[in-house]
Amino acid sequence: MRITAKTWRDPSLWLATLPLAAIMAFFFLIPLGMTALLSFQGTEYYRLVWTWSSDTWVDVFTHWHYWSILIRTLTMALICVALCILISLPVAYAMVHRLKSLENHITILIVFAFLTDAVLKTFGWVLFLDRTGVMNGALHALGLGAEATDILFTQAATMLGMVYNLLPYTIFCIYLSMQRIDRDLMLAAYDAGASRFRTFWEVTLPLARPGILAGAILVFVLALGVFLEPKVMGGGTSPMAAELIRQTFETRVNWPLGAALTLVVITIGTATLALAGAVAARAMRAAPARQEDTQ
Amino acid sequence: MKDAAPLRDPAPVADPAPIIDAVGIDKFYESFQALYDVSLQVMDGEFVALVGPSGCGKTTLLKILAGFEQPTRGTLEIGGASVVGLPPSQRPTRMVFQKLALFPHKTVQANIAFPLKLAKVDASEQDARVAEMMQMMHLPADYAARYPAQLSGGEQQRVALARSMISKPSVLLLDEPLSALDVKLKKVLQTEIKHLHRTIGTSFVHVTHDLEEAMMLADRICVMRKGRILQSGSPSDIYYRPVDAFVAGFIGETNLIPVQMDGARFDSSAIACAVPTLDEAQFSPGHAGTTGLMMIRPELIAMHLSAPESAPNISPEEAGSSCVMQGTVEEFFIKGASIQYRVTVDGLRTPMIVDVLGTAIPPADVAQKVWLSFGRRDLYLLGEG
Repeated sequence: MRITAKTWRDPSLWLATLPLAAIMAFFFLIPLGMTALLSFQGTEYYRLVWTWSSDTWVDVFTHWHYWSILIRTLTMALICVALCILISLPVAYAMVHRLKSLENHITILIVFAFLTDAVLKTFGWVLFLDRTGVMNGALHALGLGAEATDILFTQAATMLGMVYNLLPYTIFCIYLSMQRIDRDLMLAAYDAGASRFRTFWEVTLPLARPGILAGAILVFVLALGVFLEPKVMGGGTSPMAAELIRQTFETRVNWPLGAALTLVVITIGTATLALAGAVAARAMRAAPARQEDTQ
Repeated sequence: MKDAAPLRDPAPVADPAPIIDAVGIDKFYESFQALYDVSLQVMDGEFVALVGPSGCGKTTLLKILAGFEQPTRGTLEIGGASVVGLPPSQRPTRMVFQKLALFPHKTVQANIAFPLKLAKVDASEQDARVAEMMQMMHLPADYAARYPAQLSGGEQQRVALARSMISKPSVLLLDEPLSALDVKLKKVLQTEIKHLHRTIGTSFVHVTHDLEEAMMLADRICVMRKGRILQSGSPSDIYYRPVDAFVAGFIGETNLIPVQMDGARFDSSAIACAVPTLDEAQFSPGHAGTTGLMMIRPELIAMHLSAPESAPNISPEEAGSSCVMQGTVEEFFIKGASIQYRVTVDGLRTPMIVDVLGTAIPPADVAQKVWLSFGRRDLYLLGEG
């Protein structure tokens, strides 16, 4: 059976997407517009003043403090994406090719870890990493210094929590993508004289690119908004964008500034996604209609 | 294989050592035994077809030759050196995969050049050799920049062959590469593979379940069943002198008539022969005992509308030793050049199959009484398989 590609000229398609479009418009686009409006208002004695001014935006663009937090957030998100992909590639490869018989068990374990509440897992890490916790106790028993391993309430701990909580996304995206690669392609590469590593580099990695890209986008978007990990594991010493926005709304009660910072984060996220989309589209154009007629 | 140059010394070898020498290969997958004591010798430049029904072990054997599987027992030498334990990359063999396994993210050029790239051949030489190979495979030069998905099935096939041939392997292993193509294209590519083999002189080992394809292409056919090689021989050997009823039935349609044997003399209620004895060459190696199956190929039988004393197509010297059966046409099929009749004969459970050239006689109709005649020397006796 051939599935014909639908075009937007088909009126039934418009009708089918209408409910979702309405919900998205009502609960996403309208609040977004309201946030944009809010950023042009002012505050006086912690009260919102209905004016039209660009003072807040001047404030945002002239305070290095905000940008240092935004840049830290962006950097942390990018490092998190890189780490997640680097860890997920061998895991996904092993699940598909090396641990075939354990594939389902591993999948179930990852799903369980994934479905466990992030707050629980993150506090679990705190207990584990605490100066008097399991890890340091074990390292101490082995005769290793406790100072060197005291990473709780540092940026490294934040990153550990982020990577840990976001890893399932990249593992699953890359795993699904690798699973679809015809095993004969790898055999053909071995047969042509390629080593395992060369085969991975020349065949598996390029063909898993859609999964890598999808996983990267998911993790990046989620990492931009992490809130729990910097607070609980990073100890709030180096806050990230989400924490900055929360503080601006709740502690400083400066809603226009919070709205403006929110828009900046959304813009950074959207711009990065657009860039990734453009890269992916170019890659698709380069290799059109891949594997169209296999099976 | 590190270098693309031929691995074997091109100097003429007085004693033709086989390029592949597999002896006593057993293969187990856990408790399942896929191959039983299989031995296979392939000469330099020979075209060998491994044929059998699915699950007979032919693909397993090919994978062992390629290095994707290792034999559980037995020795395997390729090009005069043992390759047991060596990975595919270190063997002088190349495989053409059933589903072709072209890299979808690489252009035709990059696909064909891949083995050269791995062997670190200069880029300019890569280009030259790819161009030469594409020309040899009748692929237009401007296809080099295309991706496999942009080519037709037959063109993809040619690219797969080109990729396997580019580094000049000593042995090309083909794993049913034509099975997915339509009949017409299959014929074209069979001709091309045969021509390619003649041109480059590399040994080919071709796995197929299509016997006609094996007959067309191969110098030698190995018929496999349940992990064993039943018979290995030239196409005509396999066709006219099968080792048992399975091989006989696997290769084309045939007539098998149960007979009683008394030494060289045979006895059957259905066949009337002037001299009912067989020569030594008419016994299959597998035959033993007092019963057997007499094989006669459908195209060796002549059909007559009247009693065949007057039949013109039996030569005088054969006349003395010709055999006759009498029967009734049950059904006939027009197969183009020939007409196939199914004739029920008293004393036989299954009807006789007779292929008659379309214009040789006026067509007999269903329920018409006919006489079948054949030379005694065209009979071949098989053991009851």
